[in-house]
Amino acid sequence: MTVKGITVERVLEIIEAYGAYPNGWPEEERLSAEAMIDAQQDTFAAALADARELDRILAEGAIVEPSADLAARILASAPEAPRLGMIARLKDILFPQGTRWPAGATLASLAMGLIGGYAYASTGIVYDEAGEAYYSAFSYDAETAWVSEDAE
Amino acid sequence: MAGISELDQITRAANGDKAAQTALVNRNMPIVFRTAYRMIGDRAEAEDITQETFLRAWKMLPTWQPKAKFSTWACTVALNLCRDRLRKKKPVLMDELPERVDNALRPEEALASSQALSGIEAEILKLPDRQREAISLCALEGMGNIEAAETMDVSVHALESLLARARRTLRTALKPAIRAGDQS
Repeated sequence: MTVKGITVERVLEIIEAYGAYPNGWPEEERLSAEAMIDAQQDTFAAALADARELDRILAEGAIVEPSADLAARILASAPEAPRLGMIARLKDILFPQGTRWPAGATLASLAMGLIGGYAYASTGIVYDEAGEAYYSAFSYDAETAWVSEDAE
Repeated sequence: MAGISELDQITRAANGDKAAQTALVNRNMPIVFRTAYRMIGDRAEAEDITQETFLRAWKMLPTWQPKAKFSTWACTVALNLCRDRLRKKKPVLMDELPERVDNALRPEEALASSQALSGIEAEILKLPDRQREAISLCALEGMGNIEAAETMDVSVHALESLLARARRTLRTALKPAIRAGDQS
């Protein structure tokens, strides 16, 4: 009999290799194997009981810990942080979050300056038009007249 | 360090970040040590192998490629170191015997002579090397079949075969303990 592509023989192989507990079984076959066992409990009872006993004994043997100072010995050989030069240390003090934010602020200022400058430059045309309107309304150039009177 | 990816942690550790280095050691050192201990059967030697594994890790971290989990890489290195040491301890043929005989016990003998040794540890140490690796990674460390096969550099099918043979041997050897468990 098969359940979703798995056979009795394959479930027995899984129990034989990985033990009685489904969390140790191959992930892609786990659900099918569990379904198969649920459907035919008698078929797998003996294999599961055998495997469960060995799992219990193996679990008892799994507890072995290293000396308390092993981690410290390993960490003593770990790489040190690179030593910073004077400029780098100064940069760390001035910009503890890194230089990304100051660089962003500089770019933002530059962009605002360019936009402002462009806006100001574009209003110059309006002033020229106003000047022309003034001259054509009064039909004379006051500054030229003043200069010529002065010359006389 | 919760919420930091393993790659982040490795990058920080490589740059000398003590917290990242400590986290990396705390997370991975126990499995490396236990795997080495089960392979070699000697605590001091297993600690040497664990230290050597991390020495290699520190050197390799700056160029780390996230192709495998750090634990997989570390266990692979530890297993290779164990294999080297076990190979050196294998008995030599008579015509290759050195003039001075090494009186040191073989790992399984040393371990079996220890009073502190539990029955299961002694039986695991008697298994052939590859079966011992398989049972240690899967049954004792709870490593998934794909990761364990990758660590041992074998196919998943070969891993299953090693596991099944190891479990059959252990079941036979530990029958008295199993019966005792049945009675309790």
